[in-house]
Amino acid sequence: MTAVQQAPAAAPAVAGPPPRRRPRLLPRTATGRIRALTAAVIVALAATITATWLAVGDARDGVRVIGHDAGPQVVATGDLYFQLTDMDAQLANALLLGRSQNLGTGRDQALARYDDNRAKAGAALLQAAKLADEPSEEATARDLLKGLGRYERLAGQALLADQESDHTAGPPSERVTGLYRQATDMMKLDLLPKAYNLTLDNGTLVRHTYEDERTSVKYGIGWVLGTGLLLVALLAALQLFLAVRFRRLLNPALAAATLAALVLTGAGAVMLGGQLDHLRAAKEDGFDSILALSRARAIGNSANADQTRYLLDPKRADTYEQVFLSKSQSVLYVKAGNLADYNAALQKQTDPKAFLGFLGDEANRPALPGRDAAMAKVLADYRRFQQDDRAVRTLAASGRLGAAISTRLGQGDNAAARDFAAYDASLVKLIQIHRTAFDDAVAAGDDGTAGWRLVLPAAALVIAVLVLAGVRPRLAEYR
Amino acid sequence: MRGRAMRTRRIAAAVAAVLTAGTGAAGCGVAGADTVAGKKGLVIGVNADQPGLGLRTGGSYSGFDVEVAREIARRIGAKSGTPSFRPVTSATRESMLESGDVDMVVASYSITPERKTKVTFAGPYYVAHQDVLVRASDASVKDVRDLKGKRLCQVPGSVSFPRVTAERGVAALPVAAAGYTGCLDMLSSGALDAVSTDDLILAGLAAQAARSGGARLRIVNAPISDEPYGVGLRRGDVTGCEAVNKAITTMYQDGTAARLLKTWFGPVGLNVTTTVPQFEGCD
Repeated sequence: MTAVQQAPAAAPAVAGPPPRRRPRLLPRTATGRIRALTAAVIVALAATITATWLAVGDARDGVRVIGHDAGPQVVATGDLYFQLTDMDAQLANALLLGRSQNLGTGRDQALARYDDNRAKAGAALLQAAKLADEPSEEATARDLLKGLGRYERLAGQALLADQESDHTAGPPSERVTGLYRQATDMMKLDLLPKAYNLTLDNGTLVRHTYEDERTSVKYGIGWVLGTGLLLVALLAALQLFLAVRFRRLLNPALAAATLAALVLTGAGAVMLGGQLDHLRAAKEDGFDSILALSRARAIGNSANADQTRYLLDPKRADTYEQVFLSKSQSVLYVKAGNLADYNAALQKQTDPKAFLGFLGDEANRPALPGRDAAMAKVLADYRRFQQDDRAVRTLAASGRLGAAISTRLGQGDNAAARDFAAYDASLVKLIQIHRTAFDDAVAAGDDGTAGWRLVLPAAALVIAVLVLAGVRPRLAEYR
Repeated sequence: MRGRAMRTRRIAAAVAAVLTAGTGAAGCGVAGADTVAGKKGLVIGVNADQPGLGLRTGGSYSGFDVEVAREIARRIGAKSGTPSFRPVTSATRESMLESGDVDMVVASYSITPERKTKVTFAGPYYVAHQDVLVRASDASVKDVRDLKGKRLCQVPGSVSFPRVTAERGVAALPVAAAGYTGCLDMLSSGALDAVSTDDLILAGLAAQAARSGGARLRIVNAPISDEPYGVGLRRGDVTGCEAVNKAITTMYQDGTAARLLKTWFGPVGLNVTTTVPQFEGCD
């Protein structure tokens, strides 16, 4: 309401120039006409400068939100999902490893990684809560925080019980398994969905800002062109009037002003068009792909943990095998009803573009330099990870659980853990390509508008001075 | 959208104020081209023959899907008033969405990567699992592998039977039935031993059997698949999808979802998840 009341007070101040006495549309005397045209030129100049100023502001807002503010924060909260899945994965590793030390990795390492993830998850959650701009999102963040506390309590109990039972690598005691089930179910059914949805919500915020700012900049370009061309037309009319009235070929000052106006309008429109492009690149080549690939990474990591859980809790092996398949399919989709079929179909197809799922969708987006090679490497490594999975499951199914566990967790040449780490590293490299595209687009966006806040008033001054310099001597002839 | 309109108006106002001519431009909104968010007279596609999920009796529809659809409609736009329902089948739901015969589909519609290329999915509002239904007196079935040698209902065109036999390699004996209601009758009468399909469908059938005083049935609670039930929207309706997701979130936060799950599936001992599912995302 206050805004409405203040508006009329501000309006006359801006709309100052309107000439008070203007009895008819065209003044009768030559001086009157020159004065009127000059006034119109100055007004059009002010309009052009204002339109460009505002559009530059919109373009800057867009780059700021996507490049420096919400964008990077959303990417950070996207990692929350990964950290949570990895906490649960490391807990499973620690429980499966027991006191065994001969696999090249141990319980202490798993727990150190668990703690590291816990700390990062806490920080990301705080960030996500700050970004939440609706009551339902805030409630999700709050529930997540509460849930994380409950999860940690269960994890602590499971670890303590496991330490008391003191076993070698292999499934822990019934009691430990029972506690771990409660913890992992809670992670899967309660915490992870909320973390995921929270990142989606935060992403929505970025999408809305992006679309708003892009539309504003597009309108802005229209206004810049419209006002700028009006300015040029008025300058040309003034030039023509003076040429006819005073029989001179060219008024150099006015010609320079016209040229400057043309350059200003053109440069403004081109710069704003460039900003649209940088915004698009930051959002689509950078932000969107980074988020999608981070999700693929988190879900893949959680599938990898389902392999551990499959070995950890033989009673639930079927369920863990099934969720491994459904997670694998959301990362890279081929139609298949069971894991053996999935693996067979996966090994046959070498073109990443032939798949659906996160990686398939990404492969089908316009390529960035180096993207296709990085994607091919990701696919090759993913295929090896899935092949290892077959090996682990075949060993487990034939009763050789010990061999399955050392294939799964050991660090030897054919160890699944190593191949998974290689896949994960390739995926991180692919994400880095998009991260670079994002940073480049944001830097280009920052550079694109740099200086315009100085250029605009300077240009206004130069053009106004040129116009006055062109008109004043002619008016003087009448004195 | 508010930001864009405001900014457009701001530019318009500033420029118009400066220009004495005042070429007043109306910042005509581009917003809300074709979305279910806040739409008047929403038409929702639901199942008409699925007890517990979507069932038509006379002119009215009832079931979990129907109640969820009502809640979503209410939460995505108060203006839309009471939504109207129209029956869809797995064969018609995509074409009816595309042609605009229905605005939204809530009909145990599993989100799959293939379907996502044709439909925008909000949700899932629930993740169902393929499970097994047996007579309560039958304690021999603890997981899907125990179906070996048992008489299992086979509904032509349904993927549930091959998922047990072909995909899981469990040698169950097929007993054909026209639909799952037929399976239920045969399970009650002892003409077969087990029915396997989505747990919500099984729970709906079992609840109906319990109400009509049929044989007592038991859900095994051994899930062998994830079936994320999504809300189908016309492809590209991202705004609508975000609104529906928010509706689903609040539905779980205020306990409505838990209450509906309990109402429709509680009495038959199905382990339902009462926390919000992981959404697919709208783009």
